[in-house]
Amino acid sequence: MYTFRPILVKLVPKVRLSILGWAGAGMVALTVFLAIFAPLLTPYDPTKAVGPSLQPPCWEYPLGTNKIGQDMWSRIVYGARTILIVVLLSTVISMLIGVPLGLISGYAGGLLDRILSMIMDAIYAFPSLILAIAMAAALGPGILNTAISIAIVYVPTYFRMVRGQTLSIKEQLYVEAARAIGANHTTILISYIFPNVISIITVVFTLSVADVVLTEAALSFFGLSVPAPTPDWGFDLKAGHPYLLSGYWWLVTFPGLMIMILAVGFTFIGESVAEYFQAREVRT
Amino acid sequence: MTSLKVFVIARLLLVIPTILLLVSLVFFIMRVMPGDPVIAIVGMKAPPERILELRKALGLVDESGNPIPLPIQYFNYLANLFRGDFGRSLIWGKRPVLVEIMEHLPATIELAMAGFLVSIILGVTLGTIGGWKGGKMSSAVKIYSAITYALFIPWIGMMLQLLFAVWLKVLPVGGRIDPGLEPPMITGLYLLDSILTGRWDSFVSALRHIILPSLTLGLVISGVFSRVARTSVEEIMRQDFVIAARARGIPEHRLVVHILRNAFIPIMTMMGLQLALLMTGAILTETTFSWPGMGTFLFERIEYRDYTTVQGTVVFFAIIISVINLVVDILYAYIDPRIRY
Amino acid sequence: MEEILSIRNLKTYYFTRDGVVRAVDNVSLSINRGELLGLVGESGSGKSSLGLSIVRLIPPPGRIVDGEITFRGMNLLKLPEKELRNIRGKHIGMIFQDPLTSLDPLRKIGDQLVETIIVHTRVNEEEAKEIALRALERVGIAPDRFDDYPHQLSGGMRQRVMIAMATMLNPDLLIADEPTTALDVIVQSRIMDLLSDLKKSMKMAILLITHDLALVIERSDRVAVMYAGELCEVGPSEVISQEPLHPYTQLLLESIPDIEKPRTKLVYIPGNPPDMRNPPTGCRFWPRCPKVMDVCKRISPRSLELDDRFVRCHLYNGGLECGR
Repeated sequence: MYTFRPILVKLVPKVRLSILGWAGAGMVALTVFLAIFAPLLTPYDPTKAVGPSLQPPCWEYPLGTNKIGQDMWSRIVYGARTILIVVLLSTVISMLIGVPLGLISGYAGGLLDRILSMIMDAIYAFPSLILAIAMAAALGPGILNTAISIAIVYVPTYFRMVRGQTLSIKEQLYVEAARAIGANHTTILISYIFPNVISIITVVFTLSVADVVLTEAALSFFGLSVPAPTPDWGFDLKAGHPYLLSGYWWLVTFPGLMIMILAVGFTFIGESVAEYFQAREVRT
Repeated sequence: MTSLKVFVIARLLLVIPTILLLVSLVFFIMRVMPGDPVIAIVGMKAPPERILELRKALGLVDESGNPIPLPIQYFNYLANLFRGDFGRSLIWGKRPVLVEIMEHLPATIELAMAGFLVSIILGVTLGTIGGWKGGKMSSAVKIYSAITYALFIPWIGMMLQLLFAVWLKVLPVGGRIDPGLEPPMITGLYLLDSILTGRWDSFVSALRHIILPSLTLGLVISGVFSRVARTSVEEIMRQDFVIAARARGIPEHRLVVHILRNAFIPIMTMMGLQLALLMTGAILTETTFSWPGMGTFLFERIEYRDYTTVQGTVVFFAIIISVINLVVDILYAYIDPRIRY
Repeated sequence: MEEILSIRNLKTYYFTRDGVVRAVDNVSLSINRGELLGLVGESGSGKSSLGLSIVRLIPPPGRIVDGEITFRGMNLLKLPEKELRNIRGKHIGMIFQDPLTSLDPLRKIGDQLVETIIVHTRVNEEEAKEIALRALERVGIAPDRFDDYPHQLSGGMRQRVMIAMATMLNPDLLIADEPTTALDVIVQSRIMDLLSDLKKSMKMAILLITHDLALVIERSDRVAVMYAGELCEVGPSEVISQEPLHPYTQLLLESIPDIEKPRTKLVYIPGNPPDMRNPPTGCRFWPRCPKVMDVCKRISPRSLELDDRFVRCHLYNGGLECGR
């Protein structure tokens, strides 16, 4: 019987981050902070017109207002919630589909494995954004639909890693030993193989989450993410674009900047993690 | 039969099931739509003849209005593709999707090539310097690679527009060329066509318009190349044959050539893999700079719910990518004699 | 006997993140014209670093910290890079352990030979090709292999190519770093025969760096034994094999399996080579030495030179330090 705590502990491997990693963690933390404390950070409702149209940054509206009169700062802090929720949701869905499939495919082998791998490879070969666009166009707007569209793109990533890990663990002696004492397949999968696969899931996550952020931003840029009044950074970027020519720079600069901070933050963390594991390999 | 020929044949054979799989994937996705796509296009109150017409156009029902079962739909879909029929537009009076794609393709190719060029020059140069010098330079390149990879293309494009087009006013904000200056059509690539026909004014205009978009696209993709170039050069420099060559007294300037040639293989591998990134990047760049290529085209059709065109375009992308990957694979087998089967 | 290479008080250290590795610590050695000097030691003894130091190819984080290496009247360690490059490949040749990775995998072997010739001489490409073909012939490789890639040749052949490249310009000295370790015994023997032939015909000195003492005793004129960055014993191979002075040399000799002796248990040297970031004080061999004395743990032994022999061991210091 596996208790919850060891699993949680394994999900967060003891990694020593470099300066780059901490900088990244800081950027991500900032975004999370904005998301969580949004109501405390601004008095305005981001979906409503609260001020004059196209006002440049000033004391009342620190980042200015857009055409409709919505406060940009509010749309930024509440927008953090939108993007983080979508990213989190799609990651969870990717894992929920990719990990079990990877385990089963790697463990069972044979025809099932071949077919699943072929399908996953096909999905993987597709440019991520185009696939996401196709799915989002098909499914329609909404947080869940967007999350699913994005999730499908990253399922193969989790699938492959988990399957690879499963394949190598499968051959290890202690699995043979478990079988020798009569453990059935399910038990072996859950109690022996899965716990060892967990750490790699985290690594895959750190390396791919920046991509997920950018994909969400791109989808919302195309209007294929959450529906209109909900604050969404990519959407604001697109909405503010036409006014750029006339010099209304605050409409696009800040939402885009936030996307960058979140994406770069995750990238730095990912780089740091990758370096850490590389260094470990070299030393042994 | 040389080992290269064997490789080419084997690779060609591999391409067919790959394309088949991708194409089937698209079919599956487009059929996943919840609700009735036809209603989504024309609304609930449309006359029944219109609805029937659309259903026929989407390949859902046959001539007499009877629904076509899914397997047969799939078969029709594949058969059409085989004949080069990528579907017809639901909006612009049944124009074949393929024709519309071909009209918009040259613009995207030109942008993609320009962006690719920029990214290679920028990325490989920086990466090589970083790998060669090591130390602080190497760390700087590492950070550069990380940041550029995470750049959101529309935002970078917009910032560049803000700086150069709005504030400094030295470059145009969008579009491909000043109206009226289009060169006579030979390849569809304005820069090339204007040189070929000696139209200097067209060339300058096209050049001015392509600078910002290609810089945007190039910047973002250069990150990947700079990282690969750096790690590749670093690794090659640690290899025995470099020490052995130095032990023979081979001077540094000759060594650079040899190291680059060896380092180039992973870089080329990356180039092939970046095709996907290039395409998605091109789409985002085009919409930001109103560049009349495939990206803007796709975006437009999505907005208008022209499903058949969207489907046809996505399939087209899938096939093109497979073909280009094939070409790239063959190219590396040519360069690296160890790869051939 | 004419000395062509003289190493004096060489110190080569690696400055790693975990500490300073004193790979070559105050080593003095000389090589005479036309002789085969075998440098023997375990992994980590510093023997490869010594070889690389001669041509100043120590990779970072390593650095030659002190010492003098005299070759043809010049101090190699003080020579400007350009002149050093002239010496490398032309007057001092070097071959490495793994010939597959020592050759550029993307170029034909013929091209690599020709390049080396062109860099060092004033001949044109055609003449260079002639020289290259003759060099290949001399090491026993057929001319139709000229256009082959390294991966198309066998291990033994690749090593011959390396030998051809290193010797074709008639160097005075060939540094051979574990040239036969990656090859099987029969090929090993042939390669060693080739080296002996070349040595004789070209009056070329060879510094043979290896961990295989049997090989060295069999083939070399003189032997140098190295342990943990320091020289233990040097002398003519016959003399050393009959009358080894240093305990380490004695143990090494004993551990060589002898086909003619009666079958007994395999002798080996107990313990492990020290961590070079923190070697033992005094004589570095004392933790494994069967004849260890108190003084060995505290003071590093002085060297004793006698005729053509050299040894560093407290057993031969006359017991001066411990006041007996």
